[in-house]
Amino acid sequence: MKSLMFKACSAAILLLLASQGASAGEVVVISNSGLAISADEVRDIFLGEKQFAGSTKLDVIDNAALQDEFLSKVMHMDAPKYHSVWTKKSFRDGLTPPAVKSGDAEVIEYIKRTTGAIGYVSTAPAGVKIVK
Amino acid sequence: MTKSTDVSMKDPRQSKVSCLLSASIVSVLLATPAFALTDTERINALEKQISDMASGMSRHDTSGEGLQMHGFMDVGFTANSMKDPINYPTGFNVGALSFYLTPNFGDRVKALVEPNFEISSDGSVSTDLERLQIGYTFSDTATLWGGRFHTPYGYWNTAFHHGAQMQTSVLRPRFLAFEDQGGILPAHMVGLWSTGKAKAGTGKFTYDLFAGNGPKIVMGAPTAATPTIQTLGTQDINLAGDNNHQAMVGFNLGYEFSRSLDGLRIAVHSLRGDVDDNSDGTLITTKLNKTELNMVGGSVVYLGGDWEVMSEYYRFNDKDKSGTTGTHKSWADYIQIGRSFNALTPYVRFEKTELNQLDNYFNVQASGQSYSRQALGMRYNLSPKAALKFELLNSSFKPDTVGTVARTASSYRSVYAQYAIGF
Repeated sequence: MKSLMFKACSAAILLLLASQGASAGEVVVISNSGLAISADEVRDIFLGEKQFAGSTKLDVIDNAALQDEFLSKVMHMDAPKYHSVWTKKSFRDGLTPPAVKSGDAEVIEYIKRTTGAIGYVSTAPAGVKIVK
Repeated sequence: MTKSTDVSMKDPRQSKVSCLLSASIVSVLLATPAFALTDTERINALEKQISDMASGMSRHDTSGEGLQMHGFMDVGFTANSMKDPINYPTGFNVGALSFYLTPNFGDRVKALVEPNFEISSDGSVSTDLERLQIGYTFSDTATLWGGRFHTPYGYWNTAFHHGAQMQTSVLRPRFLAFEDQGGILPAHMVGLWSTGKAKAGTGKFTYDLFAGNGPKIVMGAPTAATPTIQTLGTQDINLAGDNNHQAMVGFNLGYEFSRSLDGLRIAVHSLRGDVDDNSDGTLITTKLNKTELNMVGGSVVYLGGDWEVMSEYYRFNDKDKSGTTGTHKSWADYIQIGRSFNALTPYVRFEKTELNQLDNYFNVQASGQSYSRQALGMRYNLSPKAALKFELLNSSFKPDTVGTVARTASSYRSVYAQYAIGF
């Protein structure tokens, strides 16, 4: 029984890793379906320059599995620069850096249930707004 | 050895882990109606469960509540050519331990607290609440703060302040140092501060408007050599209330460029208010001088690509309100240029002040002597949160005899090493 369980866990982990590996290279910015934001606002949002969409407070989510791709392709900066910007922003303005989720599944699940949430994933899912 | 004996000799921790794992997986299976799920759905549910467990340790609090704490600390070494170990000590030193806490109270209310532990040049540990500010964000274009904050003139004072790890160099420009370390301006203020950004053209217009208690200049205690004469003073930001009932006001208006000029920011700033001191040459602490501080200036900062260029200019036109000496012009500026080669950033800085000694505001301050300084340094990032820095300084102080306090010429060279981290 124990052996069977470990095999099931291992299979699931392999499936998870395989699915993330296969989709590497694509970055899709998504938001809660009730949020009205445009593609050209994405950079400002992820740098803490834009905190509100109308009266809704934005809830920005980083995706650990896809962060390097996102920073390179969308933000046009590397991870040290991104973290440096947020350290300064946090120090000067008292802002909190984006929360970090481990992968697509978590990001999608969080964005679906959170008003104001915005993040990025490797494949466009249903039930959210595709921003970019 | 029987099978039952074998089981009984297992490490009890292994048994607990197995039980917990089994229980969690069984609970997952029980929580989902197995009879209604396909294999794919079961695997998806299991995948999500594993993903949640894996991310548990790295997940940040996203509830908008709770306390975020960060900070900076640094240690270092310094040597100089002054041969004056009392006033210019050499050797290893502990810099500062500065925390900044950003408790979040929801979407619009926020706070920032910065307790700081610092080693003075005499070796004593001083503690201070560098910042204690509570704010309300109305929109992206307006946040109002109240409390004690970093006075938002120029660029350096709000961008780096006590965060030694964030700034490229070891030291701040001398004239922008903290009140008790050689600065000539109030680096902190207690009052109200409104700040924000708004899109303008392809870039952004930025503003800071602030008003608060003006500082006073508190003279130093007499020394054994001159037991009846006060020593030169330092600024006190009037934390508990304004001593002359007159607010200090100021602004900082800027424009952040984008596209081909992304990283460039230009700004103008101003600071105005009355500053009293108690420099009467005796131990009597009644105020004698009142000076209307009038500062205007600007800053140009470029942080694009691998380049870091920062420059600030301050022009003073201070009015003697307690005497008849009129108004006095002074100025101070610096420019710092650095370029990154991966983790390595060499940099140079030139700074200079021409401070009129007929202006009581400068003449009674210990740091109010005109000077010029050149810095050559190198920073190496061991990681995004840790840096090693080396800095060579050449400093020259200008003689002046026109003021009440005569200034003598001096010059010296110094070297600094610093290991700074942020967390």
